[in-house]
Amino acid sequence: MNLLVGYTADQRGAEALELAAALVQGTATPSLTIGIVVPATTPFSAIYPGGDHGFDSILSAKVDEWAVTALAQVPQGVSAKVVARSVSSVAEGLIELAEEVGAHGIVLGGRKRHRAGFFMPGAVANALLHASPVPVFMSSPQALASLRAANGQITRMTAFVGDRPGAREVIANAAKFATIRKVALRVATLVADSDVSDPATELDPHLVRTKTFLTELTESMGLQASIEVISRQSLDEAIDSLTWEAGEIAILGSSRLAASRRLFVGAKAQRILGKLHVPMAVIPN
Amino acid sequence: MSQELKQETAEQPESGLHSKGLSTGTVGVVGLVVIGISCIAPAYTLTAGLGATVAVVGTSLPAILLAGFIPMLLVALGYRELNNAMPDSGTSFTWATRAFGPMIGWMGGWGLIAATVIVLSNLAAVAVDFFYILLAQLTGNQAIADLTKNLWVNIPTTLVFIAAAAYISYRGLNATKVFQYVLVGFQVAVLLLFAIMAFTSSTPFDRTPINLDMFNPASVDSFAAFAAGISLSIFVFWGWDVTLTMNEETTDPAKVPGRGATWTVLVIIALYLAVSLGVLYWAGVGQTGLGAGNEANQESIFAVLSGPIMGPLAILMSLAILSSSAASLQSTMVSPARTLLAMGYYKALPPSFAKISPRFMSPSVATVVSAAAAAVFYVVTRLISENALWDTITALGLMICFYYGITALACVWYFRSELFTSVRNFFFKFLAPLIGGVVLLVMFFSTAIESMNPDYGSGSAIGSVGMVFILGIGVLLLGVAIMLFTKWRHPAFFRGETIKTR
Repeated sequence: MNLLVGYTADQRGAEALELAAALVQGTATPSLTIGIVVPATTPFSAIYPGGDHGFDSILSAKVDEWAVTALAQVPQGVSAKVVARSVSSVAEGLIELAEEVGAHGIVLGGRKRHRAGFFMPGAVANALLHASPVPVFMSSPQALASLRAANGQITRMTAFVGDRPGAREVIANAAKFATIRKVALRVATLVADSDVSDPATELDPHLVRTKTFLTELTESMGLQASIEVISRQSLDEAIDSLTWEAGEIAILGSSRLAASRRLFVGAKAQRILGKLHVPMAVIPN
Repeated sequence: MSQELKQETAEQPESGLHSKGLSTGTVGVVGLVVIGISCIAPAYTLTAGLGATVAVVGTSLPAILLAGFIPMLLVALGYRELNNAMPDSGTSFTWATRAFGPMIGWMGGWGLIAATVIVLSNLAAVAVDFFYILLAQLTGNQAIADLTKNLWVNIPTTLVFIAAAAYISYRGLNATKVFQYVLVGFQVAVLLLFAIMAFTSSTPFDRTPINLDMFNPASVDSFAAFAAGISLSIFVFWGWDVTLTMNEETTDPAKVPGRGATWTVLVIIALYLAVSLGVLYWAGVGQTGLGAGNEANQESIFAVLSGPIMGPLAILMSLAILSSSAASLQSTMVSPARTLLAMGYYKALPPSFAKISPRFMSPSVATVVSAAAAAVFYVVTRLISENALWDTITALGLMICFYYGITALACVWYFRSELFTSVRNFFFKFLAPLIGGVVLLVMFFSTAIESMNPDYGSGSAIGSVGMVFILGIGVLLLGVAIMLFTKWRHPAFFRGETIKTR
């Protein structure tokens, strides 16, 4: 498996690299492409006085330096190369690179920033989540702590799905990763009381229906998966009550699919992303 | 199972680092004129520079504006040669170092940094003035415009503007083509409107007929006034040379830069003449009331004149100046930061100046230091000078003459072995930069000596020495001190280990 790392020469870049290495290790041909995207200048933002001041040559020398640092962090047994690209937007550059090198996914590091009561992915991650043609993996310091607790070994894949037919694609993608990595697969659905119009009478039948639907779906796909339907008063409580193994990876469908997958509409999907403490992947359709 | 140490950064030009990515070959003549005008920022330079220039040359304003372009042209020709010979290595700092060695090179870089830091503080101050004037015009409450005279409001607001500009340039946000076209088009349109309304006004304050003598440089009273006028009018053309140094960005490097530069200067001179003649015609150079010779009006001429001349449309002028100075504030912030970065990188300053943010790919320490320097410079001038903007502009003219002069002579010296090998070399590498450089350095020394007089500029003084001298020469001496300190602590650059001299 080949992953593209969205690399910056700081802590978050190092973390992205660590997660990416963990993801590819143990696959048939583990390789990483370390992408450094340099923002392209447009002539219409001319720097005056004195033009570029030799900035381009200093920056490219710096990028060479960063490339050496990055390669030094790649574990033995994983082949890696660094590609630098000058594009006006970082997300755009990463997508271009991913398509060129045929990467199976893009890996980003990141900090979760507290905004209006819940966490949001960063600007680059957000842009990728809405445009990437390949899966996007995201780490955070807490997520890496979970991975390190398992000695960098991935132990299980958890696919978050709704109760609609579109869940099949997310499960199929998660299963693909689980098979490559030879780890267990879990399918989780979160149900809040507000998902049904009258919780007192409709909640239990809804839960039973969902569980049956997912069980039949995974069986029809020929998968061995544990199914968890978590029901709590609010989504936040449901997320919190899910238990995680060290080294687990969460997989969600991209918000681009929001229209067809109710569970992942807008704030709900963002909320799940923000509350998880394990590395996550968001998969396009 | 070995690690493949492969880097595509250096050897693959299509990776974009050296070819500047998307920008290659997209700028035509019109685009270049827009870039040139946006770097000159005429709405800002006129409001900041016109009053101060009238103060020294009176009705000979048009003549000085025309004459001031000549040394700028001569120096810019030398700039173009240096830029073509060493496109990757930067600007005054590296060029002067290659030509004259580390010490003069260091001071050339310092002159550029000082000029940009000074202009940053002035840009921020002008932006803040017009920010409050605009607010007053929008709300119809004149008291708001006067807030800018209250130092407790003015200084914090200016610091906020500087900090915002520094943050934006640290984040590396770029102005787009559409943004520049709109900004420049609006500026030019409003300035023309101002000139037309001044000439067609039925109630000029002090109707002064336009005569040919206004265009005659020889009619300026004294050489000192002429020199001061030239160093100020250099400031109003500052930015034009960018059109000559853009090559690979243009659609046709053989033709576009020359044509773009010509059209830019024609547009700018026409605009300057229209506005300055409009000001002279409408307001005269009298020292009372709305006269352009009145010291109280010289800080920011449009702040005083646009209301009486344009009536309710004055709000457009405020908007044009605010947008032009705020945009320049942000784009100029990048310049001293990059020179400081280059100086740090080549070990001419402590190595921490060479830090680049891995996330935003912009100078980190150098950006913060530039913004802090501009802020400190502004607070100091604002507190000790009666007329900070005016003195700042005059000190800026000094600084531009200094680093331009050094750079022009660096061109002559750098190419010394090939000066007489062709007619082209003789004119562009020798004669033009030599005359331009000598003229600017003469202007520099003449203005510096003149400015020791306590009555010079706004008339602020410390002891019995003029404020402009203290600001200008003080900044240069500070540079010498920092240079000697760096030479003592980090001698590598001064031993010629980081930049080879020719």
